[in-house]
Order: sequence, then structure tokens, then C-alpha cells
Amino acid sequence: MKLGSSRRGFLAGSLGVGGAAAVSRFGWAQGAARQGGTLVVAADSEPRNLNPAIIASNGVFYVASKVIEPLAEQSYDGDGLAPRLATAWSGAADGKSVRFTLRQGVTWHDGKPFTSADVAFSALDVWRKLQNLGRVVFKDLEAVETPDASTAIFRFAKPTPAQLIQNALPSLTAVLPKHLYEGTDINANPANTRLVGTGPFRFVEHRPGQFYRLERNAAYWDAGKPHLDAIVYRVLPDPGAVAAAIEANEIQLAAFSAVPLADLARIGKVPGVVVVTKGYEGITYQLTVEINHRRKELADMRVRRAIAHAIDRKFVIDTIFLGYAKPAAGPVPAFDTRFYTPDVATPGFSTRDAERLLDEAGYRRGGDGMRFRLRLLPAPFFEQTRQFGDYLRQALRAVGIDAEVVRNDTPGHLKAVYTDHNFDLAVGSPVYRNDPAISTTILYQSGLPAGVPFANQYGYADAEVDALIAKAAATIDGAERARVYRDFQKRVGEQQPIIHVAEFSFISVARDRLRNVANNPRWTTSNWADTWLAS
Amino acid sequence: MRAVLRRFATGGGIAGTVLFALVVLAALLAAVIAPGDPMAMAGRPLIQPFSDWRFPLGTDRLGRDVLAELLHGARATLIVSGAAALVTLLVGITIGTLAGFIGGRLDDALMRLADAFQSVPTFILALAFVSIAGPSLASVVTAVSLGAWTAPARVLRAEILSLRRREFVDAYRVLGMPPLQIAFREVLPNALPPVITLAAVIVANAILVEAALSFLGLGNPNSVTWGAMIAEGRAVIRSAPYLSAIPGVAVVVTVLAVNLIGDAANEAIHARRVQVP
Amino acid sequence: MTRILAVARRRLLHSIPVVAIVVLGVFALLEAAPGDAVDAYLVIGGGDAEMIQRLRQEWGLDRSFLARLGAYLTALAHLDLGWSVAFARPVSAVLFERLPNTLMMMAAAICFSFSAGTLLGIAAGARPGSLRDRILSLVSLGLYAMPSFWLGLMLLVGFAVKLAWFPLGGIESVGMGKTGLARALDIARHLVLPVLSLGLIYLALYLRLMRTGMIEAWRSDYIRTARAKGLTPRRIAFRHAARNALLPVVTMLGLQAGALLSGSVVVESVFAIPGMGRLAFEAVTQRDVPLLLGVFLISTLMVILANLFVDLLYARLDPRVAAEG
Repeated sequence: MKLGSSRRGFLAGSLGVGGAAAVSRFGWAQGAARQGGTLVVAADSEPRNLNPAIIASNGVFYVASKVIEPLAEQSYDGDGLAPRLATAWSGAADGKSVRFTLRQGVTWHDGKPFTSADVAFSALDVWRKLQNLGRVVFKDLEAVETPDASTAIFRFAKPTPAQLIQNALPSLTAVLPKHLYEGTDINANPANTRLVGTGPFRFVEHRPGQFYRLERNAAYWDAGKPHLDAIVYRVLPDPGAVAAAIEANEIQLAAFSAVPLADLARIGKVPGVVVVTKGYEGITYQLTVEINHRRKELADMRVRRAIAHAIDRKFVIDTIFLGYAKPAAGPVPAFDTRFYTPDVATPGFSTRDAERLLDEAGYRRGGDGMRFRLRLLPAPFFEQTRQFGDYLRQALRAVGIDAEVVRNDTPGHLKAVYTDHNFDLAVGSPVYRNDPAISTTILYQSGLPAGVPFANQYGYADAEVDALIAKAAATIDGAERARVYRDFQKRVGEQQPIIHVAEFSFISVARDRLRNVANNPRWTTSNWADTWLAS
Repeated sequence: MRAVLRRFATGGGIAGTVLFALVVLAALLAAVIAPGDPMAMAGRPLIQPFSDWRFPLGTDRLGRDVLAELLHGARATLIVSGAAALVTLLVGITIGTLAGFIGGRLDDALMRLADAFQSVPTFILALAFVSIAGPSLASVVTAVSLGAWTAPARVLRAEILSLRRREFVDAYRVLGMPPLQIAFREVLPNALPPVITLAAVIVANAILVEAALSFLGLGNPNSVTWGAMIAEGRAVIRSAPYLSAIPGVAVVVTVLAVNLIGDAANEAIHARRVQVP
Repeated sequence: MTRILAVARRRLLHSIPVVAIVVLGVFALLEAAPGDAVDAYLVIGGGDAEMIQRLRQEWGLDRSFLARLGAYLTALAHLDLGWSVAFARPVSAVLFERLPNTLMMMAAAICFSFSAGTLLGIAAGARPGSLRDRILSLVSLGLYAMPSFWLGLMLLVGFAVKLAWFPLGGIESVGMGKTGLARALDIARHLVLPVLSLGLIYLALYLRLMRTGMIEAWRSDYIRTARAKGLTPRRIAFRHAARNALLPVVTMLGLQAGALLSGSVVVESVFAIPGMGRLAFEAVTQRDVPLLLGVFLISTLMVILANLFVDLLYARLDPRVAAEG
């Protein structure tokens, strides 16, 4: 049932030497998937803790999602979700409970049966208490009732939109084996690095600095899957080496833009290699300019709008992202049509408007042609955040703002921006995770303590925005909730507390032998049970 | 002096001077040949060298003019390595003089400190320092000096140890001159020549360390550096190897020039010192 | 033998304050750093205030500078290098995983640069001013001016990308299940380019030193005597001139131990080799104090041992030193 849609999706998203060539390249006979083979993929980092129930992050999911499964996965079909460990779910009208029907006949890799007790334990003791994102979404989770082994009922102290819980299922609900974790120090449990799950692959070995090795779980609940015998994650931190390895067929997949954008046009022409832009919609990143509202010039909405006017989004997308990005209008990416509204007064590129607004705000050009000086801190997270920092410096100079680039490494950057507030402008890259309430509204909400990263540490406080966020959090009806978020987008679009420049995600480069690539919106961080290697 | 100059004017000495003069000229004329911000994204990305007269050496990934970057990079390189060499020499000379002339516990302490600095890998120290202090002109200069001051300090200390027993020092003592004044005003100038010949080595080392730091993304972000250019080119090394090759050649030429000058100066001064007695 | 012990004892006694300075220095350096290990960790997914506070507590980062330093020194006195928060494993385990790679690379680079450098230096210095001497001197000047990472990149483009003679990086082929000789050969193939980019530059240095030594040796009296005795030039070059010219080269060898480890940082980065240099970089960006200290202490130990080795070698090569003892 998946094959048809995945193939269509794959073609629509694959860039290469043009449509015709792409079609002929993929015009393979639709036969049965080949069993066997070892898939070798590139990995650029080795998280210290691989437990996806504790750390909901793509670096962890990339490896762990094959071993430990969530209740449901994102999908291109239907309502956007495909069942995994849960087969059905429904929220009560009062918003105070969600009922999950769990899959039967599932066993853990150590042979013990999977039951509702595992889900209850994971939800109450791990997601709610320890998980970076779960602590927000499940904060009102009071109890999980388990009337039988295949039913789990989540009870909330305050009305919690079922829509939010449903949207959180793919990223936030990795289920851990209760029998290995109960009564232990969960954060220090050895199973955090030697994972035990229910997924299609078993964790076999991690040799630091070299590789991870996962092997086929013969007892997987989805009979006949997985197709691959093993997956090896080869640690290749250098982008040049990744490109070379895939050309040499030493690896069959380089995900998460491991091959630099600048190399894609060339590598797409190599026979047997395809460039895939799909499969990441569920993890859309946003390139943003974070603004310190404590600085008096920047507290003025006209100045913020002027800065937004100074940015040529087309240039940024064409040159820095080489076309592999889209202009962003606001905090919700266009992909998420449930919440997105294009009806936002985003300032377009116009240096004339920028200069006019700055003049109006009372900051005229001085003797050296500059109006005021700023310190600009580009986040070191992506090559593009650094390069956009260089571009922004140039764009701001053009309208008479003298920006000095201050570069820090990761901890230095987080400390400067999110704890010390020691910046004027910063370039950031927040992630949109399938619902505005998971990691997006926190960037606007006021009253958060200092030291919490990827949250409003900008000194921005707007009563109307706060009210809209609170209203959405208590709105049970999905359509109504979406409407509130559209109002929210309009308000921040006008105020520009954070300037959204582009939305981007990752690009995969794969060997064409690798099949069923990018067949869901979180493909690289999904379980790869149906992925196979043609001979 | 004329004899020293004549001995300096060997093939190597002249070649080194000419090459170095070219680098200095490039640095001085950078703003004339390539006016404006060298980091400006000025043209189409990845223009090959010698294919567009407006960008003789082509453009990089973001459409920055490689020639402009190269010229402005010469400037940054000379400023950083010059400043680093100066700081290194100043610190080294001060510590060497104090250790050699005062001796005793202070000498012991300073030499253990030098031991410590010489037994850790200096580049790792520099890297740690710049990561933590944040990349800027001052932090890069400090980082380079941290790893280099021990050499001039030791050389100078040895020289001073051999000079402090000479008669003229005793004479000043008898005259009642304060010890530090004797050390810095009278002994130091006599002990300097061997340190001066070290200067070339220090400058060359400073250029290489700065390039390596920039290569790892730890150069001053507000100016173009050759090391950063090499690193930028790395992402497209297969389709545009010239982006890494060109700035690398610039580093090699500059270091080569400094080494040639150093060798020639060393031989010229060495010969004089041998002849005089 | 007693003399050897005396040399060793003096070296080791001198190294105690050195180690103390290194520990204090690294501790103070990271103390001054913006952001701590928790900040470094949070980048992967964020977290709220309570969770951040809990992590700081668990990792002992909420204690005072002196308390942490004291705890570290106490553990160190028991030869315990501590716990790496970035890797969630003991520091010693992390170090001993990476150390072999770096040691292999360094040992190969030293052997290559020392043997080839001295031999070429003898060849160049045997007849100063000859064409062979000029070519060798010119090449060594050029090599000596090259940044090792750039040389590595260019070798990579030439021999791994264009010609595909050597692998592009890493220390061995992953997931091939090679063992024994096949594995050794595989590792050797991976090491060729990194060792060349590290070794060629030192080769140039040894060549220059050796050549200068040889030229000076030719001017000395005993060589003139040897010539008068009618020994063949080749025999004079190897038996007499080279032996004396070797002394400064050996001294340099000891000094280079630390420098070589420095050079390996960038070369490991270019060739994606999981070694000590890259580990140091990771320790800094993760603000992992015990791990960075571990790297510095191990490398300090290596330098101290290298110097001890050179002291002993020197004593063996130079009859005067031996006689003094």
C-alpha cells in the first residue's frame, strides 16, 4: 500500500539530471523487495546518550529509530500518521484523556513481551519527567491507566488538545522496556547506549569514532520485514569524505545533508547516485534572525521591520542554500497546511523601505555612513547559519547598520545568547516539529527563566502573543486551535520579534540500489523496515 | 654592517626578500586593486579562474572574488603573524632576561613554566584557547604566542647567563646601577642577536599556526584569512580544487620567503660573529 | 646503568611541577570558558530549567572550582583520570581507544621522516653545492613552508580523489570484518597519506639539519685526517661525518614529539582519523574538563618519555656525554 505513494513521492522530490533521466533511472520493474544485504550509511555524530525516549533529537533518532519505536510514525497518506506500536487512538471530548489501542504480539529484542505497562512506564517516568520535549507536551499528564495489556489511557490534569498529543506521537513517544529500566537510574542505565527495543533492527555494536552496527530482528512484528540484514553507520565527520565514499559505493546513503549543497549538482550526475530532497518535511528547520529586544534600537518594531526589509531572501536561497530551501513567512512552515497561513505581513526585500523605516525611527546615517553598531552572533550549527551571518553583515551594512560578527563554538554560543543575553542579533535555526506547541511557541512566550536554550531569551514580551499561546494550549477543538495559531502567525508577522528568513531541511544522497527511500516525512529518522537494497 | 648585507645578498636572501616584498605589496595594494569589502558576495558562485576578467582568480562558493580575498588575506596574515611574533619576542625576551639575570628561585619557577609549555602540544593549547576566548585578532595572537614564547626565552636566558659573569656587568654593579636596569639596559642588547635570528622562525611559525587555526574555523571572522579560504574550498574540493589550492600556495610562498630571509640573515650574522674575535 | 637511572630520575622529578602546572592551567582555562558541558550537551534538543539544573547537579558542575579541582586531583593521585561527560564513559577508556591510532600515525611519521630525512641529508651534504644538493635543498625548503593540512588536502585530491590509489579517510575499512594481516595492510593503506602529510614536513626539517651538520663536519680536522688517511669519500661520509651530524637531529627528534602531536590535530581532521588530536578538539567543544586534561596529561607524558629516550640516545651517540657521566 505504501509502494505507490512512495514511488510517486520519490520521483517528485528527486533532483538530478532532469525529469526524463530520473524517470528512466527509476523505471525498475515493481517486483518484490529483495531480502538481505548490509546497508552502510554515513553518520556525522555519535550522541553520548542514544535513548530516543530521553533525547528527542534527530542525531539520536537517526540510529535509535530503527531499534526503538514510537507509538505512531508520520506518513504522507491519510491523516498524516501511520500506526507503529499503537494501532488506534482517540481523544475524549473534554480533552482530559486519550485512549491508545496497542499492537499485540510484539516482543522486545530480549524476548520479553511488549505490553501497556511499558507504555505507561515510558510516559510517566521518562517522557514526562526526563525528555527534553516531553516535559513540555506531557506536563499535565497525571496518570496512565492500563485496563488490559493492549490498552493505555492517558489522563491529563488539565484539558490538553488531542491534536497536540497526536502530532507529538512520532517524535516524543519512543517506548522503552519497563523491565530493564524500572527501579534503575534511568539517565545512567546501560541500555541508553546499548539499546533494547521492539524495532526491526537490534543494536549490536558501537565502536566509537568508527561505526554503529544494527542487525535484523527476525522476530519483528511486521512479518517479512525488515528486508535488510544489517545497517552500519559509518562515522564520517568530513563532508568531502562522505561524498567520495558514496561515489565509491562504500556507503549507500548520506543523509542530513552530509554531502555539502555545493557538491550536489556534481554528484547528482554520477551514475548510480541520486539526490533526494524529500523525506524531511517532518523536521523542517527555519533560518531565523534572533533579536535582543533589550537593546533600545531593536525594541523598536520599525527597526526590526527595517532589518527584515534589508534581507534579500531570494539571494539567500539561491546562493547560500543553492535553491535547496524556501522563503519563510513566519513561525509555521508552509508544509504544515493545517496551521500555516500565507496571510502575514512579512516585510519584503527593499533597501529603500529599510532605510526609510530606520530614518523614521530616528537613526540617521552618521559621518561614517553608519547608523549604529550591532554585534551579530551566527550559530555554529550549520554551514548555512555561518554563511548567512556573513551575508547579513553585508546586507546590514548596505542600509547603514554596522554589524560585527562574533563567532563562538556551540556551548559559547548557547551561553552568550540564551543565558547571558550577550548579543544584539543572532542567527538561529529552530526546528518546527509537527505542531506549533512542541518547540515553536516557546520562542515567543514571555516569562521564561534565563538559561533555557531555544526559547524566548530575547526579552520579547507581548501580551497579545502570550494570550494567543495560552488560548491555543487550552483549545481542544482542532480546527479552532488551528485558527488561533493563524492569528498568532499574523501577530508575530507584524511585530517581527524574530525574523524568519528561510525554511530548509536536509538533502539525502543515495545510491539508486537503495529502494523505498524517503517514503515518509521523517524517513531518515523512521524505522526503515521496508527499505531494501537491489542487487 | 655592509659586510653583513653583502653576505645576506645570496641567492636565497634576495629571492626571499623579493617574494616577501611581493606579499607586502599585495597587502598594501589590496584596497586599491580590490576596493570594497572582500567578503562581499560579488558575483556568480564558482567562476573558474582565468575565465572572467572581472574575477581573474574566479569566485568561491558564495560568489566572493578570490583575488580580492587573497590580497586582503595577505594583509590579515601579515598583521596577525607580525603581531604574534612581536608579542612572542616581547614575552620571551622579558622572561628570558628575568630568569637569566635574577636566577635563583625565579629562574627555577620560570623554567618549570617553560617546561610545562614545551611538554604540552602547543597547537592543541592554541586551539583550546581560541575556542574558549572566541576567535578574534587578539585571541589568535595570544594563542600563537602561548606556544612560541619558550624558544626565545630559553635562548636569551642562555645568552644572559654567559654574559652576566663578564667584567662590564660587575663594573655597573660597582657603580651602583639597579640590577633590573643593568639587565634590560646593558646586558640585553648584547644578548639579542641570536634571538633576532629566531624572529624569522617565529614569524613563519605564526603564519602556519594562524592558517591552521583558521582552517579549523577559529580565525578572525571579520577578516579574510587564507586558512579559512582553504577550509571554505574543502567542501567543493572535488569540483573546484583551485579554491583550496590558491590560498595554500600563498601560504607556502609567504612562509618560504620568511624562511629564506631567516636563513640568509642567520648565515650573515653568524659569519660576522665568528669573524670578530 | 646507574647513570641512565640518574638521568631518568632527574627527568621525572622535573616533570612533577610540569604536570601540576598543566593540570592547573587546563582547569583554569576551561573555568574561564563561556558555557559548560551542559550547554554543550543541550544543543541537540534543548530542555527546560529544571532539567538543566538537574544535569548540572548530576555532572557535578554546580560545585565550586576548588571542590572540582580537589576531587580531580584526589582521583588523579589514585591514577583515575575521571569520567568523561561528553562520552559518558571513563576518560581512560576513551583515551585508550584513540591513542593507538595517533601513536601509529606518529610512529610511522617519525620513522619515515627521520630515516628518509637523514639519508637525504647525507646525500645532499656529501657534496655541498652539487646539483643533487641544490635540488634536494630546494625541495626541502618548499616542503618546510607547507602547512601540513594543506599538503594533506592536496595529497587527498591527487591520490585519493583523482587517482583513487588510497582511501579517502578513516583508519580502516568499516564493516569488512578483516582480521590479522589483511587488517594490518588495510590500516597501513589508510595511513599512507596522513603519514606523508605529517612526515614530509619533518623530513624537510631533518634533511636541512643533517645537511648543515654534514657541511660543518667536512670542515673539521678529523675529517681532514680521515681524508689524508685515504679513506673513500663514501666511507668518510657515513662513518665519520654523518655520525657527528646526527647529534642535532636527535635533539630535534625529542623536541618534535610534542610538535608532531600538534600537527596530528589538523591531519586527523583532514583524513577523518579518530585520534588524540580530534579528541582534544571534541573535548574543548564539549567543555569536557576531565577529558581535555586526560589528553594533555597523556601527551605531556609522551613528551617526557620522548625526551628521556633522546637523553639516553644522545648519551649513546656522543662519546663526550658518556665520558662525563
